[in-house]
Amino acid sequence: MTIIYRAIALFILVFVFRCMFREKDFWKQVTATMVVIPLILRILLIK
Amino acid sequence: MSWFWPEGFYTLAMITAFGFGAFALKLPIAVAMSFAAVTGSLLGGAGIPLRHLVEGMFGYIDTILIIATAMIFMKTIEATGLLESVAAWMIRKFRSFPAVLSLGIVFLIMVPGMITGSSTAAVLTTGALVAPVMIKLGVPTLQTAAAIAMSAIYGMIAPPINLPAMIIGGGIDMPYVGFGIPLLICTVPLAVFTALWLVYPSLRKKSHDPALEEELSRMARTPLTARLFLPMAALVVLLGGERMFPEVWPSLGMPLSFLIASAVGIFSGVKWNIPETVNEAVNDALPVMGILMGVGMFIQIMTLIGVRGFVVVSALALPAWLLYVGIATSMPLFGAVSAFGSASVLGVPFLLALLGRNEILVGSALSLIAGLGDLMPPTALAGIFAAQVVGEKNYFRVLRYCLVPGLLTAVWGVAVILGAQYIAGILY
Amino acid sequence: MLSFNKGTRTSAAFLLAFALVLAAFTGKNFLEMRRPDRVVPAPGFTSHMLSEWFPNISGTPVDTPVFIQDSGVPGGSVLIMGGTHPNEPAATMTAVIFLERATVSRGKLFVIPFANMSAFGHNSPQEASPQRMHFTLPDGSVRSFRYGSRATNPVHQWPNPDIYIHEASGQQLSGSEMANLNRAHPGVEDGPLTQRLAKGLLELLLREEIDLAFDLHEASPEYPVVNAIVAHENSMMLAAMVTMELEAQGVLIRLEPSPKNLRGLTHREWGDATSTMPILMETGNPSQGRLRGRTDEHLVMTGEDKFYAKAAQLGRLFIPYVNDQPMDLRVARHTESILTFLETLEFLDPEIAITVEGVPSYGEILEEGVGAFLSPVPDQ
Repeated sequence: MTIIYRAIALFILVFVFRCMFREKDFWKQVTATMVVIPLILRILLIK
Repeated sequence: MSWFWPEGFYTLAMITAFGFGAFALKLPIAVAMSFAAVTGSLLGGAGIPLRHLVEGMFGYIDTILIIATAMIFMKTIEATGLLESVAAWMIRKFRSFPAVLSLGIVFLIMVPGMITGSSTAAVLTTGALVAPVMIKLGVPTLQTAAAIAMSAIYGMIAPPINLPAMIIGGGIDMPYVGFGIPLLICTVPLAVFTALWLVYPSLRKKSHDPALEEELSRMARTPLTARLFLPMAALVVLLGGERMFPEVWPSLGMPLSFLIASAVGIFSGVKWNIPETVNEAVNDALPVMGILMGVGMFIQIMTLIGVRGFVVVSALALPAWLLYVGIATSMPLFGAVSAFGSASVLGVPFLLALLGRNEILVGSALSLIAGLGDLMPPTALAGIFAAQVVGEKNYFRVLRYCLVPGLLTAVWGVAVILGAQYIAGILY
Repeated sequence: MLSFNKGTRTSAAFLLAFALVLAAFTGKNFLEMRRPDRVVPAPGFTSHMLSEWFPNISGTPVDTPVFIQDSGVPGGSVLIMGGTHPNEPAATMTAVIFLERATVSRGKLFVIPFANMSAFGHNSPQEASPQRMHFTLPDGSVRSFRYGSRATNPVHQWPNPDIYIHEASGQQLSGSEMANLNRAHPGVEDGPLTQRLAKGLLELLLREEIDLAFDLHEASPEYPVVNAIVAHENSMMLAAMVTMELEAQGVLIRLEPSPKNLRGLTHREWGDATSTMPILMETGNPSQGRLRGRTDEHLVMTGEDKFYAKAAQLGRLFIPYVNDQPMDLRVARHTESILTFLETLEFLDPEIAITVEGVPSYGEILEEGVGAFLSPVPDQ
């Protein structure tokens, strides 16, 4: 199940990236950045 | 070292920093929360503790996955046309029975919350389903959003699954057993009131509007086939199975269940742009996901520099007659960091302070009051999504209509605590 | 309104790079928490791993060292286990003191200082716990131990279900309890890691025919079961004798019967599933409580907290608390209680008696501090 949830987190992360690069408002990009950090650390099973 | 200094000062400073960031600098709420967290840690002599800031975010890692996947599900059933078609069908079927319809609507919104224990899930599934129905039937947009938010919260609190009650019970090693009837006592009267107060009056007035028929035909342009219901049916089976037969059903968890149910949409016989739908869902969920990350940092720093202890012990230090006022105000206010946070941080100490009364009833009532936290900005998980579902940008306008049922909820919660012994005498 | 509010692909790339740097920087810190603490077993202890009794956890992050000192003289077998909850540090430190000081001249002593090894490797979000605590030894050297989390590391067991169902009883608990070792007993053969770890511990108890087993804990001062012994029906007689003896020595302690309807805990499941006399003990730890103020190593080591002092004045606490609740006191309470149990065992049944020497008394720990009884770590 852990591997499936890592895949789900990765799936969401990819779309967060996509939104981040399409976003026209800098501060909304910052908000997306805040979501990116824990997703990366969890996908890599660091935290 | 006085009672207030320095933790009380830090509390005010963090709140001020948040307000300054959000309202003066007009930063997004998520960024303003992290700004407030860093302000607190700097003042508290902790520098910029990157480890703590990042660690705090992990408190909501599971929640953001639920939010993102629930949003994907909602956008899917919207894109396939299910939402509007069901709305049209319901209106045609029930518009002659406004009282039944208003109670039915509230109950329908509650169901996913009852099963998943999540108000967000309720708002984004059946909440999204009935929103167009209510608006078309003449319930004003803001009242619609308020009714959805309140019903979702009652759903989250109603049995069989109530996560705040489990959190509060877990804090005093009380198993989650015997909560069914107490939780119904807590929620059913309030749900009925919400239906009659926010929904019924408008339904009664507008239920025979002839101009409606044209709109209904437009909404029902996707024929209601069994296949169209597949995603919804899959979700009911997946979430319901897990809750009804936990011993045999595999524990998939909400994110996976939402994604599978969304994927089932491929078989619903309607074509839609999948990547764009997912993208739109994530984009709509991002502000709230970001807020939760900011709140996570905020709580971690509150704990680090002693603000959390200041808040909790200040509430416990209230004289007995004020304790109930403290419960009714501090728990919803603290719910600004989510109902679950409020249940854990304040619910457990309050239950300990009230030991000796029937703990199941008191725990149930505390979970009800904690549930109100999902109305409290900046997180307002029930409220903000309810506003989004009806297309209202400014959540504060919705909050106004939640005021009466919200207050009544707090009063009812306190009443259940006060009457716990009496109610227990009847029940057991 | 801030001036630079236009988002471009360049700004997104810049932010992404920033996120990666931050993730790398904090990630390094998080990974460092997983390095095991070193211990210096007293002469006579042999070192094992729990997987020797239950191969199902071999190579997993929950396999944990088990130290055994067998006197060779017939007598009882006793297990001292700390670290079920790594955020309850006096429990771990008590087990470490027995490991580094004990000389067994009758019977067999088992010590598991870090029961949930996975939980030592991280901290719970939003608890703002310090990562380490430090002890100064008489030779001036400093040893550190990790202050971990109550729960198994989610990196090793994720996600938690929404509802945790205790397999042996069907009892429902909040999903996060799935990662709580002390809700996982008696364990599940092929279950999730925490449940498998519990099963491993049960196997050890059964195969080694442990007569008396301690599961050491700490609790929040505002929680009613604190400064307490919790005993199963099997161990109630012994625990009652010990409680009276401790009281006579001036160490006041509550005695609580193990609730029959609260499942998954050592004091219930070990007693039901084995012939062991299980004992769970709690001291009062402000650094894990909900009323605490500033959270840091100082709080862990001293228990000094103005909010707890206030709560004590309000009559909200279940321990006598004036201004502090130091680690030395908490470890001294646990140590003295265990020693009294071991002495009392002789009166209950001489055949399962055990003689352990070299472990400091209550007064000695209070006077000299925990650090005085740790051994210097030899250079690697």
